[in-house]
This record gives sequence, structure tokens and C-alpha cells, in this order.
Amino acid sequence: MAAFPDEAWFIDYQARVNQDKELSVIGTWFSTRFSITVDQARRVMVVEKGQITQVIMAPKFDSRPAFGFQAPMSIWAKFLTPNPPPLYNDFFAMLMRVPDFVLEGDGLVAMQNARALQRLMNLMRKEAA
Amino acid sequence: MSRIEPITGRYVNVDVNGEAHRIFYEEAGQGTPLICLHTAGADSRQWRHLLNDTDVTDRFRVLAFDLPYHGRSTPPDQWWLRKYQLTAQGYADVIRAFWQALDLVKPVVMGCSMGGAIVLKIAVDYQKELQGIVGLESAAFAPGRYNDFLHHPAIHGGELCASYTMGLCAPTTPESNKRENWWYYAQGGPGVYAGDVFFYSFDWDGRESIKTIDTQKCKVSLLTGEYDYSATPAMSEEVAASIKGSRYTLMKGMGHFPMVEDYPGLKRYLMPELQGMLA
Repeated sequence: MAAFPDEAWFIDYQARVNQDKELSVIGTWFSTRFSITVDQARRVMVVEKGQITQVIMAPKFDSRPAFGFQAPMSIWAKFLTPNPPPLYNDFFAMLMRVPDFVLEGDGLVAMQNARALQRLMNLMRKEAA
Repeated sequence: MSRIEPITGRYVNVDVNGEAHRIFYEEAGQGTPLICLHTAGADSRQWRHLLNDTDVTDRFRVLAFDLPYHGRSTPPDQWWLRKYQLTAQGYADVIRAFWQALDLVKPVVMGCSMGGAIVLKIAVDYQKELQGIVGLESAAFAPGRYNDFLHHPAIHGGELCASYTMGLCAPTTPESNKRENWWYYAQGGPGVYAGDVFFYSFDWDGRESIKTIDTQKCKVSLLTGEYDYSATPAMSEEVAASIKGSRYTLMKGMGHFPMVEDYPGLKRYLMPELQGMLA
């Protein structure tokens, strides 16, 4: 079984995102790069028009994500459960109430894409598909 | 199958502190007046399930109005010359002007989120005029919700506010209801949600004043969703602890918008409280 944040997990996730009917409707202007950081592990998602076109599993300093979400595995694990506990059910909830869940980089780009980004993040839970 | 709902919509013209307002309200039912206050940046449509519920409207005259700048209530004249920022006093003044304009006697006032906050203030200030208050997602002090992106020229405010608030719903909320509330939020005027959150995050601090609420004069019921991360259950518990004789219940599996998120879920908790208001 693919475990977060292994490559197999991101392959499944990429397929889930790219098959998502809602993102095909709302993702037209969602083109950016953003990172997901879990403890010391960092991944960069390349997003084009609401589709993940590439997951950079070992990003170097030239990967240039506009923004990213960073948290320890214990926090991501709560977010990824099928029925997440209170305060961990949405990235906005964690940004407000979970101090170790951090939005890094350019928050403006993240919030310009808030609608599609929220959908994309919630699809990290396969039950949301 | 077509069906006409029993809700009627009307406008009332009221003066609030010498300023003319045209306020839209929806109404259904007969009995004790029950005034319903929508959440920040939203409007009276959030109460449509309650307004259609004969278990409530058989005993209550339910009235849900749009705060000025919201829904179908127009902003006051010269609105373009001032920044919209709701204050606790201004908010309370509008609510009282509404019940006075309609000659409502001893109403119950129920509000959610910022409405759940202001019902505490009106219970402090006007407890002799009220039958009681029902606070959904009530907090006496709730900083942290405001951010500059809520009204920013490089961001679609409607989409951001709608998505920002959708995260306040519980994971088990029916998807269509969550999206309905999203739609209402997306239709808010520019800067209105931010202006409401100004009240909620900066101007409102009722931690001391709520201790003066006398529940022998004005009954107090508090219901808060387990998944509310804005007005958390802990915040509502603090309110309840400060008001002797108040009733507080945690709503399991519910979020910040119970009346639109999951009305049947809310109803289980709400009906005993409404019954208590009539006793």
C-alpha cells in the first residue's frame, strides 16, 4: 500500500487530481508550483491548469515553488485520515489552529488559487474523490 | 413536483442612529417572535430550512433579516465614501431597530457565528426586552479570523471568502449543503466579509460584560459544533461558564454553520432549546 509521502502515494494522488471532475471545471487558471514538506521530506508539485503535470520527489534549489505547506508527519497523518479530527479537517483550519502547520512562500499566490487549491488539498484524502 | 414555500420576503425601512436603512427580511410562522441572524458575509438564505420547518413555525414567528450591506439590504447612502467595518454597537443597534420597527414583543434572538457573538451583547444590553437568546457557535472573544487577503485587489474575494469559510464545515456535512453555503458566501459584496470579521476579530470582547446577563430575565442557550475551529467548543464553554443559568451543548459532528450545513442535525439539538424559550 502506498504510504505518504512516498513516490507511489504521489502517483496515486496525481491520478486522483487529474481525473477530478471539479478541478477540470475550476482549475483553468490554477498554474503554479507548490511544495509539500513532511518533516525533512519535500516534494514539489507542478500544476498546469488544475492538473498535476509533475511531482518532483527530490527538489533542488532550482525547483522554485511559489508557496508550500510544511508540517510534521503527525499533523499530516491527522489531516489524511478519512474522518479527520476537529482542527485538522481542512488546510484553513490547520493554518488558524495548528501552529506547526505552516504556509511558506508567497501566500498571495496560494490565496489567489484558494478554491482550486482547497479542492486539490482535500483530494489528498482519497475518500474526497 | 412544484411547491411554493411558505416563506415571504419583505422590506422594512428603519432609522438606525439617524441613518436610513432599507432592510430585507424573510418571514414564516406565527407565535413568539424568533429573530435569526446570519453569519459574517452571508445573508438570510442560510435560515431557509428553519423557515420551512413547521415544527418551528407552528409556534414561532420566524424572521431572518439581511444586515445592511448583505443580501438584499442595501448599504446606507454615502456608502462609497467609507470603509465598511461592523462594530459591536452598530450591529446591536440594527438588530434592536429591526425588532422595534416590527413591534416585536419579547422576541427570542438566535444568531450564528458573529450572530452568536452579538446575541450575547444584546442579552447584556436589552435583557428585559427579550425572551431569550440562542447562540450558535458563540464566543465572547474570538481573535484571529481577519487577514488582509479577504479584501485584496489581486484576489477574487468571493471565491476566497467562500472557500475560507467552507473549511469551517464538518467533514460529514452533506456536500450539497456545504456548497450551498459556499455559493452564498461567493455572492457577498467586496470587503463585506472582511468588515464583519473586523467586528468579530477586533471590536468584540464580551468576556466581562456577559457576566451581567440574568437568565431569570433572558434565557440563554448555546449550541456549538464539534468541528468549529473559529468559535471553538472551548470558547463556547467559557461563555457558558460566565453566564449563570445558561445551557450549553456540544453538537457532535457539526461545524460552524449548523442551520445550513446540516439542519436535521441541528434540529435535534435546537428543538429542546426553543421549547425551553417558551416555557
